[in-house]
Amino acid sequence: MATVHDEIDNWLAADLYGELSDEEQRQLHTHLVDCVACRKTHQETKTMNKILEETLARKKPDPAFEQRMLAVFRNRIPERSGLVKMLADLMRVRAVQITAVAAILLALVQMGRMITGESATPSHNRAAYAGEQLVQQASQVAASEPGRAGSLNKSDELAAGQSKDLALARPQPAPATRSELAREAKVGPSTVAPAKAAQADANEPQAFAMSPEGVAAAEQAAQGPAETPAPEVANRKLIRNAIVQLEIVSFDDAVQKITAFANEEHGYVATTNSEKQANGKLRGQVVVKVLPQNLDRFLQKIRGLGELKNQTLGTEDVTKAYFDTDARLKNARVMEQRLIDMVKTKTGKVSDLLQVEKELGRVREEIEKMQGELKYWDSQVQFATVTISLVEKDMEEPAAFLLKERSQLALYAPDVEKIYNDIKALASQKVQITNAQLNRDSSGRISATMSMLIAPEESEAVIGRTKGFGRVENFQTQTERIAQGGSGMSENAKTKHDKVELNITISREEQEQALQQTSLRIRTSSVDEKTKEVRSLAEKQGGRVRSSYSLVDLHIGGSTGPWEASLFASCL
Amino acid sequence: MDASEREQYRAAIHGDRGAFEMVIRTHSRTLFAIAYGILQNREEAEDVVQDSLVKAWKMRWRVRDPEKFPAWLSMIARHRAHDVFRKRRPDFTHETIETTEVNTPETSAMDQQLHSALATLPELHRAALTLRYFEEMDYRTIENTLGLTNGALRGILGRALASLRKQLRPALASTD
Repeated sequence: MATVHDEIDNWLAADLYGELSDEEQRQLHTHLVDCVACRKTHQETKTMNKILEETLARKKPDPAFEQRMLAVFRNRIPERSGLVKMLADLMRVRAVQITAVAAILLALVQMGRMITGESATPSHNRAAYAGEQLVQQASQVAASEPGRAGSLNKSDELAAGQSKDLALARPQPAPATRSELAREAKVGPSTVAPAKAAQADANEPQAFAMSPEGVAAAEQAAQGPAETPAPEVANRKLIRNAIVQLEIVSFDDAVQKITAFANEEHGYVATTNSEKQANGKLRGQVVVKVLPQNLDRFLQKIRGLGELKNQTLGTEDVTKAYFDTDARLKNARVMEQRLIDMVKTKTGKVSDLLQVEKELGRVREEIEKMQGELKYWDSQVQFATVTISLVEKDMEEPAAFLLKERSQLALYAPDVEKIYNDIKALASQKVQITNAQLNRDSSGRISATMSMLIAPEESEAVIGRTKGFGRVENFQTQTERIAQGGSGMSENAKTKHDKVELNITISREEQEQALQQTSLRIRTSSVDEKTKEVRSLAEKQGGRVRSSYSLVDLHIGGSTGPWEASLFASCL
Repeated sequence: MDASEREQYRAAIHGDRGAFEMVIRTHSRTLFAIAYGILQNREEAEDVVQDSLVKAWKMRWRVRDPEKFPAWLSMIARHRAHDVFRKRRPDFTHETIETTEVNTPETSAMDQQLHSALATLPELHRAALTLRYFEEMDYRTIENTLGLTNGALRGILGRALASLRKQLRPALASTD
């Protein structure tokens, strides 16, 4: 196992980034106490980290970064509008893709026939052949076992499955199957099966339809064949539900309107939930229950609330399961009655009686379960469930842009106080001083910080003048464009300049600029004495010594006095 | 990853523009950190983020598993940044681009040294460093973002820091 010492770099980095466990931390610190080399590395790593933190902090993206990325993205990928978007959305659904391909192929086949003048025979066209076969299969099943809805349903599923795989057969057999079954339904009105098959068949496009037009068309298709066998309609148990995604301006408004619409259609809002997103917009879900016959009208209404993003409409036929359960329930009731009778007559052994009691309990439990199931279905059938997802829209077009400019100026000057007052004197209607501070630190050094707001038209002149007051050490300007009343880019929005913020720091110039520099080399027998002499001379002349040092060469003389001295002084 | 996050990625992959824009809001900075790490230049890095987002939108159907969406985004940004880095003109210099920042002489000297020291590191190490310093991500998140195996980052960041430390040793001594 590698020791701490061998992998000290990894350990130190992990320590720095808070990735060491308590135990690991203890190990590291124990080692650092023992090892001088690693201690040194530890010091250096800490300094390195500080430098990285400071340097990289300045490279981070500015606060408007995400907004800019979004704006560029929207610019480069414009949102598709209306029909194109709808078609693209539609094409994402597999069933629609298949149907579209099938339709195109069929059209091609038809054209081919028209050109060659051939009549269609199953052997000429695999698709047509397969379709015909399916029709036969389906009608055979329907004819031979009209009472068994299950098997017919299965064959229809089979047909649907095969047609998906073949991608060709679907459009052809569909109408054939439907009309066949509709006829069948008239022949045997006492069975539920044909109507159900027709329904299942018609449901398929409906379940996948996503566009408003598609839904309407599917709706008609569903009603068409389903209405033919009139007596069964009333008994059919259909669960209808819809999922709608809307982009709206205001969440609360939308919820209010949805509630109003629900009341109009004799429905009610079941649940509402919402959450605030990072961008401050709300997103949430409203579940509404409406009477199934009012569902379409309700959907039409809520579509007007905002931009429809997505819509799924589904119908689940629970007729078979419902009546199966219903029949089983009746049987169970009969069973219950018989068991009760057995208990009442009280013949036989006690153990038999106990057996009967036990059985009675089981049957009753089953009855309750089935009753609950039927009740649930009833409630589901009674009301259609509409789940509406709402997302608040980002306002695309900002009303205006505000251009904010912020400048930092660092000035160095010999007389801080004078400049401080000079700058203060600049104050006028267009130049507003928001902060002015004159500081004196413990060593008596004076510095000042000032902030001002300048009217945009004056900013250049004022900043220029301020710069002239001293030596500019550093000047930075930051300009930010802030969108108002929206986000993103807009061609039409006006750009307004905000007041320019100027922050000034004034520090005392430590090193006055020398007008003239003279260097003098003096050869002397006593360096020490001469140094003192020059020192006092400088002081007498109103100057001061800025630095001095002396060199001693021990090898040559071995004496204690300095051999060479340098003096740097300045005077008026 | 919680369910709502997963759902958001799923919606984005399925073309929900709102969900995708949300991803832009939440992930742009991560992508920038990766791109900046590799390129060491803000303008170029920003371009890389923009290109990556556009590419991600166009290719979004390629992602099968919504959980992999963030890592996939990062991969696009990494590749794009790598391409930009390779295609740089030979006379390209850091200073010609970064003129907007005015610094005092000492810090810019340090900047310069750090910049050249960083340039000697492998791209992956640089990206890991910037993710750590820009976004303050923990090791686990960085590993997920850069598609590294569990535990690999410890060695990477250790070596990266050691290399920087050795190169900047003289400067470090003076700042102490």
